[in-house]
Amino acid sequence: MELQGSVTLPAPAQQVWQALNDPEVLRLCIPGCEEVRQISPEEMHARVTLKLGPVRASFVGKVRLTDVRPLQGCTLNFEGSGGSAGFAKGSSVIVLTAVPEGTRLDYSAQASVAGKLGQIGGRLMDASARQMADHFFNAFKAHITGGASTTPPVVAGGGTAARSAATPGSLAVESSRLLWFTAGVASTAIGVWIGAHWL
Amino acid sequence: MKAPAFSYARPSRLADVLALLERHGDDARLLAGGQTLMATLNMRLSEPALLIDMQSVTELKGLQVSGKMLRIGAMVTHSEIEASILVAQHAPLLTLAAPHIAHRAIRNLGTFGGSIAYGDPAAEWPACLLALDGVVVARSLAGERRIAACDFFTGLYATALAANEVIVACEIPLAPADQRVAFDELARRHGDYAVVGLAASAQWTQGKLDQVRLAWLGTGHMPLRSIATEQVLQGQRLSDPLLALAVLTLRNELQTEADLTHSAAAKQHLAGVMLRRCLKALAAPAAATV
Amino acid sequence: MNEPQDTDDLSTAAQTVSVTVNGMRTQHNVLPRTHLIDFLREDLGLKGSHLGCEHGVCGACTVRLDGQIVRGCLVLAVQTDGRQVETIEGLSDSGSIRDLQQAFIRHNALQCGFCTSGMLMAATELLQTKPQARREEVREWMSGNYCRCTGYQAIVDAICEVLAARESARHAGAAA
Repeated sequence: MELQGSVTLPAPAQQVWQALNDPEVLRLCIPGCEEVRQISPEEMHARVTLKLGPVRASFVGKVRLTDVRPLQGCTLNFEGSGGSAGFAKGSSVIVLTAVPEGTRLDYSAQASVAGKLGQIGGRLMDASARQMADHFFNAFKAHITGGASTTPPVVAGGGTAARSAATPGSLAVESSRLLWFTAGVASTAIGVWIGAHWL
Repeated sequence: MKAPAFSYARPSRLADVLALLERHGDDARLLAGGQTLMATLNMRLSEPALLIDMQSVTELKGLQVSGKMLRIGAMVTHSEIEASILVAQHAPLLTLAAPHIAHRAIRNLGTFGGSIAYGDPAAEWPACLLALDGVVVARSLAGERRIAACDFFTGLYATALAANEVIVACEIPLAPADQRVAFDELARRHGDYAVVGLAASAQWTQGKLDQVRLAWLGTGHMPLRSIATEQVLQGQRLSDPLLALAVLTLRNELQTEADLTHSAAAKQHLAGVMLRRCLKALAAPAAATV
Repeated sequence: MNEPQDTDDLSTAAQTVSVTVNGMRTQHNVLPRTHLIDFLREDLGLKGSHLGCEHGVCGACTVRLDGQIVRGCLVLAVQTDGRQVETIEGLSDSGSIRDLQQAFIRHNALQCGFCTSGMLMAATELLQTKPQARREEVREWMSGNYCRCTGYQAIVDAICEVLAARESARHAGAAA
């Protein structure tokens, strides 16, 4: 699956950069995040509980940073394991650009899901990834502006109709596909957010 | 596979359900029909400590006319709605939609309240509730509140329901004499989740459409109405040019999302097909078809 | 009634289930997590119903609860306390679907037999609730049960034949 988006934050790049480097900020902004730990300058671990519809799954994610260009961007490589639910991994490219309104953050992520999650097609994978990204950016923007933000972030989710790149399972059994794939999205999207904000 | 271990309670009073929910929060799961929850547990995509079975709470059953509304208890099953004469009389859109829900064995246990609480974008009842301007009645230990359908569904599997609330019933305005309804759904196999579906209702006044409601399922991340398309049809007589305009308006308005089997463009096209079929059905004499 | 303590609430220990199965009342201690289908097969030895997907899609586990078909994998045994369950063994022994079973054999509507009990359960409810179903309705109704062997046509043929035969018998009975 592919997920692309962009958000404009009303703050200078330096402030955005600092906030994104703060594990506590990430813990507060990632929905369902219980823990974020910095292991080394290039690596973070996080534990997130996904609640989506009937699904309640705990994911453990690890993000490794490469190609760091301070205040400009980087690439993140992430892995997320949902225990018996399955496994997801991928990478995300983050770019920060100064704009009159503050800083624009563009992200472009690719991910694959394996195990149970990978068996069933993603009816709602893109939609749930986008929703989670929206939640994160709303919270992050609110944090940056120091209060409740009334305008939603401009997330270019709609136009970039991300198509599921996951292998469609030959069974595609109805009652399970959305469950598994929303869980798959979660572990993927977690990597994206962690990545998007770990610069 | 097998569900993980959990505890099980079957209270007979709603107050006890709410008390358990309050005490255990998200460690507990409400068990209504179980047709979604049990599949989730079997997949180990949720491992709650406690299931709160609501099958014995009589307050949640019941299908009756209450004032100007048809009140459907949260634990009323899809099959009960399918067979109900009251529903056929006062909310025939539900009667049309019911046979499309999964398969008989699922319908015998699955509940109206459960379907509304999840708000699955490809489910039939949320779209029907939207099309009929229904109301969700929710109860918590703090009391009861009523939430209009148009305010209830807020995002992907996201609803206005608070974590400590239970849906007790849904209410639907009794169908006025000149109301017409239509429902159609495309699925690869009968009973599959909708690829695209439409729940439509309108007043039919002297050959003109009034109060048009077009509620879509399977197109995006939540059930929603295509307001601009409804407005294009408002007060008009159905004609081929109007149909064409409506389909064009819909194409611009409806943001479809791809899924496993269909691209966003395919869904766009199919939504137009559904719109044509349902509008023609509305125009057909003696109300509902399909 | 005392407020139950947290530890009581969350005990995953077995609970007593008193359920009527195929007309006989029986009492067992069952873990809450146990599916009805596993309870029937393992605790009661009623192996006529089968386990397929375990998430409600294939229909191999179809049994009857309070007179209605349900997925045995989506119902917990503890939920059936005080209720009535009927399996293919009971249905078959009752003789009430003999015509359906014979039609299945005549039309070769079973090969390995794995889906058959579920098919018969589902078909029985169709015969009861839609005695005038047309072929298309039969196909829609039965689409909740998967078969890997027969290609379904023979199953639909058998059910249609029984629908017609029973309808004729009703008319003959009315005319007599």
